[in-house]
Amino acid sequence: MVLSQRQKDELNKAIADYLYSNGFQGALEHFQKEAGMPQELEKKFSGLLEKRWTSVIRLQKKVMDLETKLQEAEEEVNSGAPTRDRRTPSEWIPRPPERYSLNGHRSPITRVVFHPVFNLMVSCSEDATIRVWDYETGDYERTLKGHTDSVQDVAFDSAGKFLVSCSADLSIKIWDFNGYECIKTMMGHDHNVSSVTFMPSGDFVVSSSRDKTIKMWEVATGYCVKTYTGHRDWVRMVRVYQDGSLLASCSNDQTVRVWVTATKECKAELREHEHVVECIAWAPDSAQPAINDAAGTESKSAKRSGPFLLSGSRDKTIKMWDVSVGICLFTLAGHDNWIRGIVFHPGGKFILSASDDKTIRVWDIQNKRNHKTLIAHPHFVTSIDMHRNAPYVITGSVDQSVKVWECR
Amino acid sequence: MANPAAEPQSVEDVQGDGRWMSLHNSFLHDAKEKEPEVVLIGDSLIAQMTQSRLWEQMFEPLHCLNFGIGGDRTQHILWRIHNGELDQIEPKVIVLLAGTNNFDDSAEQVTEGILAIVKLIRDKQPSSHLIVVGLLPRGEKPNHLREKHCEINKRLAEELKGAPMTSFLKIDEKEFMSSEGVIRRSIMYDFLHLTSDIGYQKLCDPLLEEIQNVLGIFMKVESTALETASLAGDLDHSPSN
Repeated sequence: MVLSQRQKDELNKAIADYLYSNGFQGALEHFQKEAGMPQELEKKFSGLLEKRWTSVIRLQKKVMDLETKLQEAEEEVNSGAPTRDRRTPSEWIPRPPERYSLNGHRSPITRVVFHPVFNLMVSCSEDATIRVWDYETGDYERTLKGHTDSVQDVAFDSAGKFLVSCSADLSIKIWDFNGYECIKTMMGHDHNVSSVTFMPSGDFVVSSSRDKTIKMWEVATGYCVKTYTGHRDWVRMVRVYQDGSLLASCSNDQTVRVWVTATKECKAELREHEHVVECIAWAPDSAQPAINDAAGTESKSAKRSGPFLLSGSRDKTIKMWDVSVGICLFTLAGHDNWIRGIVFHPGGKFILSASDDKTIRVWDIQNKRNHKTLIAHPHFVTSIDMHRNAPYVITGSVDQSVKVWECR
Repeated sequence: MANPAAEPQSVEDVQGDGRWMSLHNSFLHDAKEKEPEVVLIGDSLIAQMTQSRLWEQMFEPLHCLNFGIGGDRTQHILWRIHNGELDQIEPKVIVLLAGTNNFDDSAEQVTEGILAIVKLIRDKQPSSHLIVVGLLPRGEKPNHLREKHCEINKRLAEELKGAPMTSFLKIDEKEFMSSEGVIRRSIMYDFLHLTSDIGYQKLCDPLLEEIQNVLGIFMKVESTALETASLAGDLDHSPSN
């Protein structure tokens, strides 16, 4: 490589500055003499050599990153950019770029959920509000106000007639989703209510709290009818098994617990995570074949039938549990920071996860492999949901935006 | 004679807008709601770190909270910790940088003030690892405050040697100045506060390394090398995502 005279002069000046600022006075004098340079140093060359030195490494890294991205993009093109009609719905996964990035919340998003019937989704935020959006058009519909502190979780009943929300203001609220009115406020937890969900029948809701308990509430009367105690710290999330017979919860005490709904008995305590367990999800029946393949069941007769439960933790791993025997079947590692949200793909072949490493990832269950990674937000991704029928995924972030991703 | 640098003291609201107390209350709220793994507490040198791009790149992914308030002396930080800022959290690492605003206290007094904060943090958070950052040099040319800071750092290094769960991070003051001992404005824009890129990199690189040593992890952060203005033309400024 040959430098032009001007570049040579600049390089010499930068070297002279380097020698000067590092106190190599003798070398500097000799160098200036040999290079035929003036004695005084120009200020604009101060620190230039060091800057160039670090920028080369940085640019090399950037080139490598871009080449990787290019390769990925080429693969997608060569394998035929997947279109929906060429793939079965069970193969549809979210693809960049996002279809909508929706702003409006004034604090980090804590949860995003789809409405089970309408083209609507709901987000809740530390700004104490709940917002309703149309995920097909990207339109903002309205804001539900009533909570006085950070809203932590929201959930619909199976028909989508009612929405339940919980908050750091210690209350749980039930909203009529036709008139968007708050029809009930339930108090009883002694600390931040971290998670809430409907029982399959819709007559009861269950909630979990930083007060270490899980509570069941009767929707009609608003009374607390059951309290589940056993966790030794903040309970982060509670989720009901499809038939309503079991509850699963996870906690800052690093365990996942499974409870018999009717008797309040703790049926299993699953300990293997090495940090706070942030989120859990029950596997749908459709995922059973893939989970069995992944677990490597030796004989065909010894097929596991679950129930299967998935957990995501601040230890950066996702674990699949067979609740019937209380063992961990396999662990998925790959995220570089806390895992904040997990959801099963309705087709049963994939798991989707959201993390503080700013990505969402698609995991191939059968091969226990990170199938695809999407850089989703410029800040922590706090929540993810996938629609049961329509090809959409939504994410929420500390960057205060909600994003809609189309699946192909 | 009591040492004012080592007695908890709130800041008098001389300007009349109550900002100092508002910030303290805001920190109390964050402490209640957030679950930081790293907390930085101190004066403006800590506070302004959040304005640097390095904060987003290097510290935010570690789940950090920044409890820095400009102008705080050791006694004010002492007061804030006494009044709950570290009560509701269980951070793995706490970083302390304070003392430069105690400009009219003696080296002895400032050292005692810092050690009083260290003791209080140890009482409040016995299982957290504490990193005490040595005072940075100040002033364009050599002056008595620089000498005092050297004296304080020497004392701190001695006092904190062997202290459990505590480390003293001394950044070589030569990092901030030329071979003649002159501080450049490209590093400290007013000969006291760090510039958001080059200046903070001198503090953040060794600090992040120490934090990661303590946490026993290597967090993936974007390259910390600088995109300085003189290189802007060569570099793509768009974020990598």
